[in-house]
Amino acid sequence: MINRLKATRHLVGRLSGEPVIASCGNPKFDLFTAAEKRKANFYMWNSMGMASSIGLGLAMARPDRKVIVLDGDGAILMNLNSLATEASKAPANLIHIVWDNGQYQITGGQPTHTSGKAKIEAIARGAGFKKALTVKTMTAFKEAVSRVLSQPGPWILVAETDSSDAPGRPPKSPVLIKNRFMEALRGD
Amino acid sequence: MAWPDKIVSLLKANNICSISFIPDAVIGRILKVAEKDPYFHLTTLAREEEGIGIITGEYLGGRFGVLMMQSAGLGNCVNALASLAIPYQIPFLILISQRGELGEFNACHVVMGKALRSILEALGIQHHTLDREDELEPIIDGAIKTAYTSEQPVAVILSTALVGWKDEK
Repeated sequence: MINRLKATRHLVGRLSGEPVIASCGNPKFDLFTAAEKRKANFYMWNSMGMASSIGLGLAMARPDRKVIVLDGDGAILMNLNSLATEASKAPANLIHIVWDNGQYQITGGQPTHTSGKAKIEAIARGAGFKKALTVKTMTAFKEAVSRVLSQPGPWILVAETDSSDAPGRPPKSPVLIKNRFMEALRGD
Repeated sequence: MAWPDKIVSLLKANNICSISFIPDAVIGRILKVAEKDPYFHLTTLAREEEGIGIITGEYLGGRFGVLMMQSAGLGNCVNALASLAIPYQIPFLILISQRGELGEFNACHVVMGKALRSILEALGIQHHTLDREDELEPIIDGAIKTAYTSEQPVAVILSTALVGWKDEK
């Protein structure tokens, strides 16, 4: 099983200025804990499910930058149609990572459908993704990160993770988050 | 110039190059004009809500957008507007083709049609109704400018008085 915080630390360690969109819930806590000072982090405080769509919009507007989405299984299940839109628009610079622990961790660990029959990689392939991977170990995750960062996408990378908590909490002002992120993208 | 051409030229004049949409017959007339111009990036949505996310992402990357949908679609957008576009202050135009108003044949469009303005008001989204062609320029141009100034979405509702209603065949 992959530890989500360790995986997040590994990922940001491989990045330079690439923008990262972190879904509400634990993905943003992990990202802040792993890279508090990093300006190109966009933290979502709600709008569950929208991370994939924000990432798609940004990837289309900024084809010169790789765009990374850190999503959760519960969140992507809420916006499955976005997989069809991502695959149809198919920006080569989009890397959509889904942390899949099969539960709504933040509300007490109630099971999501991925703990049963739903498989995100298969859904993504059915939606039209040609490049989709599922990894279950840290070694496989590290190899997958090298692949998605070096080969054109769009990529879906599903990482099966445990449900340990990250202690960090990002700033709560949406406007502060937005302004800092946009400054980083403009290179101010 | 017909009203769809006027709308498209005002979008371009205000640097809106991205159009995210769920089509209907009215939106289709605007798209037919926009798709001829390579200036515009068109994104077909699968559900209106994802348009709020896509336009937010495009804005973060330096591109201005418009969301085009039917009144029914606003119901699919409410939480993304309330918890993403409004608190993060994302300026864009929402162009809504109204159903459930004059000449409606379908009872299942009437309730959302009537609730449309109350939902926008409950969210605090400024909205204007376009029902006369001679008001098109001040309303569309003005709505976009106010969106930019206030860093908020602003809605323009295309009334059936302007665009006609759908007849059941």
